[in-house]
Amino acid sequence: MLFKIAWRNIWRSRTRSLVVIGAIAIGVWAVIFLISFSSGMVTSYINNAIENEISHIQIHHPDFIEDEEVKYFIENPENLISDIQMVDGVKAATLRSISNGMLSTSKGGGRGIRIKAIDPISEALVTHLDEKIKEGKYFGESRSKSILISTSLSEKMKAKVRSKLVLTFQDVNGNITALGFRVAGLFQTGNNAYDLNTVFVKREDLNPNLGDEKLTHEVAIVVNVPQNVEIVQSDIKDLYPNLLTENYKELSPEIELFQSQIKLSALIFTVIVMLGLIFGIINTMLMAVLERIREFGMLMAIGMNKVRVFWMVVLETVLLGMVAAPIGLAIGWFSVVYFSTRGIDLSNYSRGMREIGFSPIIYPNIESDFYWWLTLAVAVTAILGSLYPAFKAIKLRPVEALRKL
Amino acid sequence: MVIKTENISKTYNPDSIPVHALRGVNIEIEKGEFTAIVGPSGSGKTTLLNIIGGLDRPTDGYIEVGGSDISKLSDNELIDFRRNNIGFVFQAYNLIPVLTARENVEFVMLLQNQSEEVRNERTEELLKAVGLEKEIDRRPSKLSGGQQQRVAVARALASKPTFVLADEPTANLDSKSTTNLLDIMAELNRKEEITFVFSTHDQRVIDRARRVITLEDGVIASDIRR
Repeated sequence: MLFKIAWRNIWRSRTRSLVVIGAIAIGVWAVIFLISFSSGMVTSYINNAIENEISHIQIHHPDFIEDEEVKYFIENPENLISDIQMVDGVKAATLRSISNGMLSTSKGGGRGIRIKAIDPISEALVTHLDEKIKEGKYFGESRSKSILISTSLSEKMKAKVRSKLVLTFQDVNGNITALGFRVAGLFQTGNNAYDLNTVFVKREDLNPNLGDEKLTHEVAIVVNVPQNVEIVQSDIKDLYPNLLTENYKELSPEIELFQSQIKLSALIFTVIVMLGLIFGIINTMLMAVLERIREFGMLMAIGMNKVRVFWMVVLETVLLGMVAAPIGLAIGWFSVVYFSTRGIDLSNYSRGMREIGFSPIIYPNIESDFYWWLTLAVAVTAILGSLYPAFKAIKLRPVEALRKL
Repeated sequence: MVIKTENISKTYNPDSIPVHALRGVNIEIEKGEFTAIVGPSGSGKTTLLNIIGGLDRPTDGYIEVGGSDISKLSDNELIDFRRNNIGFVFQAYNLIPVLTARENVEFVMLLQNQSEEVRNERTEELLKAVGLEKEIDRRPSKLSGGQQQRVAVARALASKPTFVLADEPTANLDSKSTTNLLDIMAELNRKEEITFVFSTHDQRVIDRARRVITLEDGVIASDIRR
């Protein structure tokens, strides 16, 4: 009966209840959409970083990460790829030799650059670099040494496809070597900072000039299931205990930071919205109590004890929340589903976003657990919002309440 | 003895401008009485009714209802006491607007944790007794004032109280509804020996009462039994 009274009481002032229900629903939707949007941005950043730069796992000489010197190469790399591909969960792997050097053209002057010497076929399986060629070819069949530079670097260096570039770098013995390349293609990864500082050449072209044809500084690995990256990493560590095997979170600590930030900002945003809603709920329920003072007086006069009166007010508020929350959750869920396939196109702002590695199209996503947490948050908010009006109701003295007009 | 008061006094605003609503009222009401408490406005009728009903406390004096001293009960104990011993009929009916006539009557029994079978049986019996068996599933807004007050009488009797207190029960009713309501209450009083205590200005109620206690300036001016 208490439930029946509480439910019917909600609809005594239909407009007022609908306003509160609407406010809660919009609040819930806003929380879901904003969190899913932020999560989508972070996911795009992480995916871009994994796809273009760091992969899921990398293997290096233990000293290479600190100094990035050519002399810190992986010894005996002959069977690395075949052995790693035998590890359960590995999708693809590729070898790279890496050197920091100077890129110069006849028109654009010189620029410090990171030279990644790759195996084009296995690299394409790991980073899909072949799909990011915007102009020219993915190395091609040219007899001359080929180089891939980014579209943004080509603008800076005033270089085009087939332009000749000179790379100057140090070999393993510390000797400075200069080597001429012809631009085979222009790529674009979506991270401008990375694009401006990275060029790709073939290992077979660079390695002889670095000092060893088999020279390998880095093994980049992608796994089948990203959630299992730590298991795969552990298996590879067991295979190569003397090498440094790191996953993407260790290689790029900002990813971990972003992931924890998204959880923190979700919590902060949820708390802010719920705080706003609490005041709306208090206002509404206080009005509902104050305009029913005589009724509460009558209820207590005929024998309804204070505990029941208290719970009736709490129940009314929780019911309001429980009507509103599913509406907000449903709208939020539909919004996420709709935009997670179509994406939110932020191309107008893409220049700034690309500078820091964000995709111009954001695909909102949210963990399904979050819907349960949000439902719980609404219930807690409703209960907190009902406490003051409920206390107000039980503080009434029947004899005085019954006299109220 | 159903109700017994000894030297009941009630003073409002004792620390500023004291208003003496009751001054040493002594009443004894027996089971089965049909009593009207009358008097001009401000004479203390409602205050006396509120004190007898456990809604208010006397400033001084002793009050015994059904053999228990209720002046020493806590707020929560008073609520329990009212639920099980007193039926209230208010001037403005004061039904729960979101419940039907049946649910309003049943509500008090729910508070007493009565079984569904008992509730259903008694609700139908009481609403039939007040002539509302056809309006059983209507909400108060769909009932006339007289019908609402009859539902209030049925509700007051639902808990099988020691007595029923009715504060100006006919004040908002037309002549026909008043007669009808008084007939019902008189019948319940006669058949089931339910004790009724009214505060009223209404001569029609006074005419039907078998005992009339007149209050003036917070003291009993007369107490006439017929």
